[in-house]
Amino acid sequence: MCGIKLDNIYFSYSGTSLLSNINMQIVSGEFIVILGPNGSGKSTLLKLMTGLIRPMQGTVEIEGIPVQEFRKSGRIGYVPQNYGRNTGFPATVEEIVKMGLVSQHTSLSKVASRHIVGHMLTLVGMEEMRKRRISDLSGGQQQRVMVARALAGNPGALFLDEPTSGIDPEASAKIYELLKHLNTTLGVTIVMVSHDVEKATRWASRVACVNYGLCYFGDSGEYRKRHGQDPHSWFTGA
Amino acid sequence: MELLQYDFMQRALIAGLITALVCPVIGIFVVVRRQSLIGDGLGHIAFAGVTGGYLVGLYPIVAAAALTVFGSVMIEFIRRRHSEYADMGLAVIFYAGAALAVIFGTLVRIPSSGMLSFLFGSIMTVTYTDLALIMVNAVLVITTVYILFDKLIITAFDEDVAEVSGVNTFWVNMFFSIMTALVVVTGMAVVGILLVSALMIIPVAAVQGLKLGFRDTMAWAVTFSVVSVLTGIVLSFHLDIAPGGTIVMSAVCLYIFSLIWQSVSQMRSRAKGNAAALPQDSR
Repeated sequence: MCGIKLDNIYFSYSGTSLLSNINMQIVSGEFIVILGPNGSGKSTLLKLMTGLIRPMQGTVEIEGIPVQEFRKSGRIGYVPQNYGRNTGFPATVEEIVKMGLVSQHTSLSKVASRHIVGHMLTLVGMEEMRKRRISDLSGGQQQRVMVARALAGNPGALFLDEPTSGIDPEASAKIYELLKHLNTTLGVTIVMVSHDVEKATRWASRVACVNYGLCYFGDSGEYRKRHGQDPHSWFTGA
Repeated sequence: MELLQYDFMQRALIAGLITALVCPVIGIFVVVRRQSLIGDGLGHIAFAGVTGGYLVGLYPIVAAAALTVFGSVMIEFIRRRHSEYADMGLAVIFYAGAALAVIFGTLVRIPSSGMLSFLFGSIMTVTYTDLALIMVNAVLVITTVYILFDKLIITAFDEDVAEVSGVNTFWVNMFFSIMTALVVVTGMAVVGILLVSALMIIPVAAVQGLKLGFRDTMAWAVTFSVVSVLTGIVLSFHLDIAPGGTIVMSAVCLYIFSLIWQSVSQMRSRAKGNAAALPQDSR
């Protein structure tokens, strides 16, 4: 269970302001989707939340601890957008999931880590694939394995950067179902960047619309009502 | 086992086996991090270290180790600072190493036979001091890889994921660079500066297509490497040809054999699949 707080965030890239005056309070157990047009700062916002980049101004806290400190505990789950750049990586599914235990490996016995890996794979419905090489799986199956890896370290929050990009609609729907299941049954806080406005707003509890700033942060049902008739305004939050 | 009667051959075999072990252990990380040419770059710095060692009166392997470690740290700094041009830093250090080697070489006037032994390896002339230094390097490399194994894998897989997972990727990458430098220096005496990278890359390349997990890929790459080194040493002894080149050509032959084996296996499994797909009456 994990609350996330962004206080007066400002971030610029090469002298150009990308995100300014971002204030967000995410409550434990929420499912947040970050929407916005290309280059609007969605992924940057996610990277600020995970501590991968530091804001020029403002603070990011998880459970009341600055994110740079919090992540040392290994309790942030992160599924990046372009993990696929290393598709030929020579690892089996269980080796990939075990990577999620990297911050705890010294305190875990082999039996315990094998048990956790098995449990995570069962959770994402990939138990039977544990001995398969990751590159032999479909895009949707690979994404499920990435979610299992991100969950293995028992994260307070799970951050995903466009987890359904490049995946067929059926596999994409399964990823959303899985995330919703993790969110409702295990109470995992989920923050996800997505381009898939229709599906993402259907599954998420709240929407954060980013366009060089936060143009909407509120209930996803309300967001759908406001922008349902005009799909072009969905990303801009206008 | 006539060759084992000779003292120099015993040293050669021990040095060769140690190199065969450490090269693929680091090589697999080098390959998955897409830094396959780093061994060549560091090899040129090692050469500058050797010639520099002659110049200032330092034992060549010690001087090579010192300069190569320094070069590897510089490459890592440049890679971190300019991640979009990671190979640029490698190229700069590569050329600087080659240029320094030429300058030091002319200043100290090393006999060409001495230069050639470092360029192409001289496993048969490995001294007890060389062997001791190779052993120290190998122990350092294996111990570091053992301790950092999980962190090295996740950092090689995705640096951002590693960072978010609480791994200090700066130090992991730095240790990895230093270990790569030490492996280059270890392999220098066995296969030479120009071929050391081959023992890091070719055994891993030969196993990559077998679609194994990370640990199995590493284990098989070490096995291929050991077979290449033993075959190379034995053949070079009996045929009186250069051991460094023979070792690397043995590895290349294993790589080609592995490619053929993989193609045949694929064709067989495709044929099986087609046969299974045919309707009953057309069989």
